[in-house]
Amino acid sequence: MNANNHESFQRVIDESLAGAIPAEREQSLREHLDTCAPCQEYLNANNKVIAGLGGFSFEVDPSLNAKVFASLRLPAQQLQAAQPGRRRWLLISLAAVVLTMGGSFLDLQFGRLIASVFDIQRTQVQQGLLAFWIVPSLCVLLLFPLLPLLSKAGTRREEGIL
Amino acid sequence: MESDTQQIALGLRQGDVVVLEALVEQYQYRLVRYLIYLLGRRDGVDDLVQETWLRVLERGSSYDGRFRFEPWLFRVARNTALDAMRKRPMFSLDSKDDDGVRPSPASNAPSPFTLAARTEGADRLAHSLQALEPVYREVLVLRFQEDLSLQEISAIVGAPVSTVASRIYRGLATLRPQFQGETA
Repeated sequence: MNANNHESFQRVIDESLAGAIPAEREQSLREHLDTCAPCQEYLNANNKVIAGLGGFSFEVDPSLNAKVFASLRLPAQQLQAAQPGRRRWLLISLAAVVLTMGGSFLDLQFGRLIASVFDIQRTQVQQGLLAFWIVPSLCVLLLFPLLPLLSKAGTRREEGIL
Repeated sequence: MESDTQQIALGLRQGDVVVLEALVEQYQYRLVRYLIYLLGRRDGVDDLVQETWLRVLERGSSYDGRFRFEPWLFRVARNTALDAMRKRPMFSLDSKDDDGVRPSPASNAPSPFTLAARTEGADRLAHSLQALEPVYREVLVLRFQEDLSLQEISAIVGAPVSTVASRIYRGLATLRPQFQGETA
């Protein structure tokens, strides 16, 4: 077996250890290793390095967890306080739906009556309700559920910059 | 596993202290180990660990529960360490030497690897590991201690998969002479 062949298989061993080769090449590597002492020795040396890396045990300060917990508690509370709950979003959205429907109902059922009481055109009542009631309610309904998504997108962008 | 990671993602989004404390308990040692490999020193690591967990809380909503938590945690830790280095430029993570080895630190204090070696193999590696460039040490711990895939490591270090693979080969090649020529 020539030296080039060993080099080529030793490259495959490196790739195999790095998790960079498909299963079928692993099979041909295994077959080669059964008959090649230099490549077997190369693999053994690599395996000893990897086993050696597992032989370190770093000291961790026993009070470190407590320090971390203490430093997290206040920011976590602030974060929770700043986040409206899902129920609150639901209630706001529900209120906006009711307001939107209420404005439309008022216009349909009592538009003529309101126009006669205030001595104005019915279209003016419709425009007033649309401008000051229905459209603002619709905006609340559409924009409020988007706020958490916009907030999340902002956080992601910040993380990407980091 | 997916339901676990979904639970973590939900807990982080809500700033749930119970979830956070469980994560700290579970990952603290691995986080400390990763940072020691990255920095090649023990002092300052505890401060970085605290800062990392604060960032995990602050940026928790960016964790996607479809993926494993470890790569995301190590990426946050790496960014925290890089920011600290920018403020206090003691050394860089960039590799400048062709052989992947940098000069030994001037201090006579034993390296964190010498102090942490618990086996004969680790003892033999300690000096070479300390002298190895941080970018090589980093991929070795992520691949062989954390058992992360090349793609996951690539996402953590922000380098192409081929670069990560090359760093692993070179890291192994630098440490291998400690054991070459021995019988199995």
